[in-house]
Amino acid sequence: MFPILLSIFFPIAAGVFLLIRYRTPLSGEKRNTDRKALLLLTGCFLVITAAFAVAALLTGTGKDGFILFNLTKTLPVYFRIDSVGTLFSLLAVIVLPFAGFFSFEYMKHEERESRYYGFYLLAFGVLNGLCFAGNLITFYLFFELLTLSSMPLVMHSGSKEAVMAGLKYLFYSLCGAYAALFGIYFLYRNCDSLTFTAGGALRASAVAEHGGFLLVTAFVMLLGFGVKAGMFPMHAWLPTAHPVAPAPASAVLSSVIVKAGVLATIRVLGMFGTNFLRGTWVQTAWIILTLITVFMGSLLAYREPVLKKRLAYSTVSQLSYILFGLAVMNETSRTGALCHVLAHGFVKAALFLCAGAIIYKTGKTRVGEMRGIGKEMPLTLWCWTIASLGLIGIPPTGGFVSKWYLALGSLKSGLPVFDVLGPVILLLSALLTAGYLLPLTIYGFFPGADYDYGSLQKKEPCKLMIVPILILTILSVLIGLFPDIIASTIDMAITGR
Amino acid sequence: MNFICNFPFFSILLSLFSGTICSVLPAKAAKVVNRAVIIAVGLMSAVLLLYLLSTGEPFIYWMGHFPAPWGNEIRAGVLEAGMALFFCMIMYLSMAGGAHKLPGEVVESKHNLYYILVNLLLSSLLALVYTNDMFTAYVFVEINTISACGLIMIRQVGRTIEAAVRYMIMSLLGSGLLLFGLCIMYDLTGHLLMSNIKESVGLIMANGEYQIPLIVSVALMCIGLCIKSALFPFHAWLPDAYGYSTVSSAAILSSLVSKGYIFLLIKIIYRVIGFDIFNNTRIIDVLFVFGLMGMIFGSLSAIKEKDIRRMIAFSSVAQIGYIYMGFGMGTQAGMVASVFHILSHAATKSLLFVAAIGLTDVSGGSRKFIDLTGAAYRNKWAGVAFTAGSLSMVGVPLFSGFISKLLFAQAAVQVEGKMLASLIVLGISTVLNAIYFMKTVLRIYATTDEAAYTGITFRDMKAYAVTLVFFILLNVILGVSSQPVVNMIEQGLAMFA
Repeated sequence: MFPILLSIFFPIAAGVFLLIRYRTPLSGEKRNTDRKALLLLTGCFLVITAAFAVAALLTGTGKDGFILFNLTKTLPVYFRIDSVGTLFSLLAVIVLPFAGFFSFEYMKHEERESRYYGFYLLAFGVLNGLCFAGNLITFYLFFELLTLSSMPLVMHSGSKEAVMAGLKYLFYSLCGAYAALFGIYFLYRNCDSLTFTAGGALRASAVAEHGGFLLVTAFVMLLGFGVKAGMFPMHAWLPTAHPVAPAPASAVLSSVIVKAGVLATIRVLGMFGTNFLRGTWVQTAWIILTLITVFMGSLLAYREPVLKKRLAYSTVSQLSYILFGLAVMNETSRTGALCHVLAHGFVKAALFLCAGAIIYKTGKTRVGEMRGIGKEMPLTLWCWTIASLGLIGIPPTGGFVSKWYLALGSLKSGLPVFDVLGPVILLLSALLTAGYLLPLTIYGFFPGADYDYGSLQKKEPCKLMIVPILILTILSVLIGLFPDIIASTIDMAITGR
Repeated sequence: MNFICNFPFFSILLSLFSGTICSVLPAKAAKVVNRAVIIAVGLMSAVLLLYLLSTGEPFIYWMGHFPAPWGNEIRAGVLEAGMALFFCMIMYLSMAGGAHKLPGEVVESKHNLYYILVNLLLSSLLALVYTNDMFTAYVFVEINTISACGLIMIRQVGRTIEAAVRYMIMSLLGSGLLLFGLCIMYDLTGHLLMSNIKESVGLIMANGEYQIPLIVSVALMCIGLCIKSALFPFHAWLPDAYGYSTVSSAAILSSLVSKGYIFLLIKIIYRVIGFDIFNNTRIIDVLFVFGLMGMIFGSLSAIKEKDIRRMIAFSSVAQIGYIYMGFGMGTQAGMVASVFHILSHAATKSLLFVAAIGLTDVSGGSRKFIDLTGAAYRNKWAGVAFTAGSLSMVGVPLFSGFISKLLFAQAAVQVEGKMLASLIVLGISTVLNAIYFMKTVLRIYATTDEAAYTGITFRDMKAYAVTLVFFILLNVILGVSSQPVVNMIEQGLAMFA
């Protein structure tokens, strides 16, 4: 009980403390010493939070679940750790601290650094709450809070563009969440409780009575929560909001926070039960939407010249890989989907941090300007290259394993048309992925004969930046080398233990 | 009889006579008397509430120890005491939040009059809450109307005089209908005391004679009170009345005056007609439909509005619609949700009015959206408060608005025929709410290039900022620990029967 509560409320309290303690921007002669103290505090808070979350995962105290307080008589705020939650929490616990350390250098010249760290910690706590939520209403609570606490990260720079992007993000997320809430009301009537239970919580009588309406409800909820995961047709916020945030925040947004939408989808599937949805029009419609998103996201990324925006479009596409795996609704595709949650999480964080390092060191934002960057920042670009291979899905990286399972699951599914069309689109999109990620490697390492080698400078970023990138890159490969460990956790997640 | 049982009588008389005293006092002293009376009444209500919770029994108080029908009766249960306490809290905060604007809005010589009207309003509200006699209720409805009219008109600009005249006409129409209904009721039953009427109504329904006149009388009373509480389509008087009066008046009118009438209607439903008899009439279906229409059309009008105060006023129409929708469901759960929404809306709407004035003040007094651009940066406290109020209105978890929506939805799913309509309209209305409130938040946080207006800091508005903080706290408390409040409402409604 206590590790769970601490992992949620400690970072929230710490974040609020930072926001209040450092409410005026650091300035003057003491800026450097003050900043050191701030960073030390933030670092400690991040590590302690991660430690609490790991403790919560390891001690297993959360398996039985506990009620924090009752929101209304029959709706408790209830926490329980299950294996799906464990998987997502693992991603958060690894990516957030590393991206946080990266920000220590990246945010050096920013004025309102403390505000950033404050909301960063808040988002960390809320994410933990989201992973450990044990029923739909608790989940919804943290889902809304996640939007609110991550919005300031998007708006950090305070420019007009950033503020508008933040509000776009807020608006899309709120509308999506409300569509989902509508479903929750109806589920509440047709389920015995809103607690997550394996195999669906619908009452059999309800299915017989309002089956058709329940399908509509399921579709509305999938669409609503799909907004957060950037699913077509409500994806427009993502390429606007993610690139305007500071690079480490984009990394967290793109690799972890959007996964909240995926987790939500898994929870919704869990509530309805895949048996109820398999073979219905909901499944067909959902698969069509995900495939459109996969292809469209890649295509838009391919055409996008600004590096961070390109990565954001890539997120749109990659998240729908995961959603596609869930929509196919068999065990193999689901393994692929859950595996891709981790693979994409590590890769996208690494890629955004690489992009951040390049922007920080050179100030260049467009891919076209980055010729010869590999000569100046070889280590960064190597990390970029390896992580890219992971996203494209080349063995032995994590992306290969997940895409393998996704394709296999789709082929085995026996769905009409989509069993073959699915893998074909995934392959096409993988080609496009190579097309939009690798040019940076190619022109970065081989700038061509006319490149002015004389002006080369060593621009490799400092350890605080390069080490997190390295670790995330290595992780993205490791999960491909040792898929057994991941697969066994995921197996547990599928069987629902 | 315990000394505490005198408190309802004391609070009505205290506020009534303090009004008279205010007329001879200088403005400053009148202000002190006004505040002191509100606090004293609030304290008495709190003590009374605790006493009633401990005894668990409502009591009937004979004025002057004359038994009915010679004497007048006052009745106090948990709900009455709780409502009185809540009204006092909102009234105090509204007065405090608008105090700094008063000199600019009302001519110096009329400040006395202002406090007289406020005290009179408080006394009539308390009488409406406590009375056990229909005719007394009618008398205080008229007093309430007159003082409310005065509160609108005391700021003497063209629009307010027009608004007051309009309010007067509509409101008198409402009280006229109430009086008609009352006359027919008196004719049928021969009583004016609520408990006696209820007995006779039970007999009439059992005998099967004079049922139609009885229904007509109930319908007349309902429509009368609907007009007075601005249920759609009787809301034409509302936007001007709330939009152009002084800040405190707008906050008090929107959150208390209309709620006083609604509370009287609840009393009539439970204490005069009987809950079951009322629910068997078709009146609840009419209320339900008007409630739903109000929820949508109120929001649509608010979206079209370009003036922030009028927008908030139109939003009231939608919120009143929620309350009547709860009545229309015809279940205990619906009624509990409605009563909770009375509290939640009162707390939120007054917060919005008070916060809006902070924003318009730093925008050159203009209430047009275009001028409010970036106002939240100029008055940070008002910006935060307005955002909090908006989030509550939209129904974000942890704020009171979420709980009322949850309660409405929970109540709706128990009513077979009305479930779908309620849930769909609830969904639409939530999204519409999100559109216009988020649009406003977006506007006040948009960045401007030129600093056209000067900002204000905490030092210049300590009292105002503290009031806002209390308002936000009230909202959050209602949103987080709603269970005790809901329990109290249930207990209070049970005492009504």
